[in-house]
Amino acid sequence: MTTGKPPMVELTQVTKRYPIGSVTALDGVSFAIAAGASVSIEGPSGCGKTTLLNLLGLLDSPTSGSVRWNGAAAGSLPERERARLRLSGVGFIFQRFHLLPTLTAAENVELPLRAARRPGPERAARVAELLERVGLTGRARAYPHELSGGEEQRAAVARALANGPGLLLADEPTGELDRTNADAVLDLLVEAHRESGAALVIVTHNPDVAARAARHLRMQDGRILSDSLAE
Amino acid sequence: MRGIGRGRSLRHLRFQTLLAIAAVGVAVALPVVLLSVGGGVAQHELRALQQSGFQVVVGAPGLHGVEGAHGLTTKIDALREVRAASPILSLPVTVFLPGGGQAPLLAEGVMPGAFLATVSPEESGLFPSPLPLGDPTDLHHFANGSYSGAAVNSMLVSSPFANSRSVTTGERLALSVTGNRSQSTVYNVTGTFGVPPSLLGPTGAFVAILPLSDLQLLAGEAQASDGSAIDAVDTIQVALSGSASSSPTTVAQVAQSIQSLVPYYDVSTLSQEVASLQRAESVLTGFYLALSSFSLAIGLVFLGVLLVRRVDALRSSIAIRRALGLPARSLAAEFARTALVLAGGGVVLGLLAGILLVRALAIYGSAGVAAVASLAVFDPVELGTLAAAVLGLAALLSLAATRSALRFSLPEALR
Ligand SMILES: Nc1ncnc2c1ncn2[C@@H]1O[C@H](COP(=O)(O)OP(=O)(O)OP(=O)(O)O)[C@@H](O)[C@H]1O
Ligand SMILES: [Mg+2]
Repeated sequence: MTTGKPPMVELTQVTKRYPIGSVTALDGVSFAIAAGASVSIEGPSGCGKTTLLNLLGLLDSPTSGSVRWNGAAAGSLPERERARLRLSGVGFIFQRFHLLPTLTAAENVELPLRAARRPGPERAARVAELLERVGLTGRARAYPHELSGGEEQRAAVARALANGPGLLLADEPTGELDRTNADAVLDLLVEAHRESGAALVIVTHNPDVAARAARHLRMQDGRILSDSLAE
Repeated sequence: MRGIGRGRSLRHLRFQTLLAIAAVGVAVALPVVLLSVGGGVAQHELRALQQSGFQVVVGAPGLHGVEGAHGLTTKIDALREVRAASPILSLPVTVFLPGGGQAPLLAEGVMPGAFLATVSPEESGLFPSPLPLGDPTDLHHFANGSYSGAAVNSMLVSSPFANSRSVTTGERLALSVTGNRSQSTVYNVTGTFGVPPSLLGPTGAFVAILPLSDLQLLAGEAQASDGSAIDAVDTIQVALSGSASSSPTTVAQVAQSIQSLVPYYDVSTLSQEVASLQRAESVLTGFYLALSSFSLAIGLVFLGVLLVRRVDALRSSIAIRRALGLPARSLAAEFARTALVLAGGGVVLGLLAGILLVRALAIYGSAGVAAVASLAVFDPVELGTLAAAVLGLAALLSLAATRSALRFSLPEALR
């Protein structure tokens, strides 16, 4: 391993237990993601993929072990601090899109920019740029229920990219899409990862999707089974 | 599917929102009505007291009231600051009408001159001046308690009575304190007088005014059975001269001097009565506020429940925003805005409803209710404080909602 700069995200002996049913979702997981890396995570249902992603993205805190961002302990910070780091550092893409139903596509994309207190004109320009990039310029004023699943997920990708995060976390982003839409969304994610240099972590059951990443993690029962680079 | 479900929950939320606004509105309307009407009545009473034509009252709790009234009045009159002292005896009597028939009447025995000198400026225009009741001092007839002077046998009747019984000046009416015609005395009606529109309390509309000595004789309040003078009245109303009447210290000093003349009677000043009325009013206001705070509590509980339910209904939206890293203050601001809009809507509704209700009662209420309602005073400071208090409490409630919005587990809500 090269010395010098610490990895962008590093998990050390991370365990996550849910008190309800005393489930051990993650069991002593250690691994690191370098800036700009692309990683796919595969594994059977319930093996802890989403839990792992939540810990990487600071949505949750580990029961034990440490989550470090650029060398600094981040996983056990108070929620306030973690929220601040999420806002600027992580773009989430969820399986179920999770757009705000009462906001238009453009307003959904604008939300993280507002929260980061970007000035109005800058926000407008950035929203227009992002919508164009995901091919939704004509649907800017549509509400989520007026969008197709593929369009919703593209809007979600635009929202995830809004503040230029260094880490994109996608949890089965194509799980609810047909083949064509899935490919379009994947293309967007991979392209954004290449262009911005953001690290990309994709959880997926789909070998085609996994093939887009340079590194593959296989999980089982809350542990990492294998960690390999694409051949 | 998703759309339908969301539509229904939004409709639910809208209905609950209307309910919460209505609850706060009702909660606010109650204190608006209580405070405005209660305050208005109290102010009316105070004004009536402050505008009365006298400043000191002598009274007595005993059987015959104040005795030796003529002599005492002369002594009080002799005090330097006193402009007039007016003894008054009031009793219910029966009047026998010329055409047959009888009616109850409140008879007031007065010293005609002193009486006119102690009525309020507002009332003085209602009486003929001088009162056509013979001797203005009532001293000839009284004759030091021997009651040997010529009986005046004149009376004035109130115009409501005169109108309702078709009594005209020049008529002769028989009065009796026992209700027995054989024990009656005949009086000439020498004039009528107006009755001020009385908004509150018993409307003494059927009234007769007689010379004091005449009424004392009629009522047996003149002499005891052994022939000694009783000369009883209920009260002596004392008016001070111009500048003295408006100085509370002078009024108090005069009351003191009168008290030393009659240590065994109650001597009170109107400013004391004003003070006790004000005390009573503040007790009442406190009572109204206590009552209102109960209704406000219910309204605010409703609002609080709605806000917490909102957190539930918007759980996934809140979770998404928190996941994106939106700062807690944006959620807090949103809940504060919601709470203030709801409470503000309720406050506006409540103020309008309360004011309109009082106005409507003043127009359409039954006589007594309308009279009381028409006295209502809408004090902007009082109502403003009420509104501010409700909004402040609503803002506090929004903090509770924010707290619960920030506490639920994100990964679970995002599943
Ligand atoms: N909030 C929770 N409370 C209790 N148990 C939980 C909770 N969240 C997850 N689990 C359990 O933890 C384990 C890992 O869950 P996780 O969601 O990470 O799995 P996953 O690999 O993402 O599965 P899937 O492929 O089905 O999404 C599962 O057994 C799950 O039932
Ligand atoms: Mg999962």
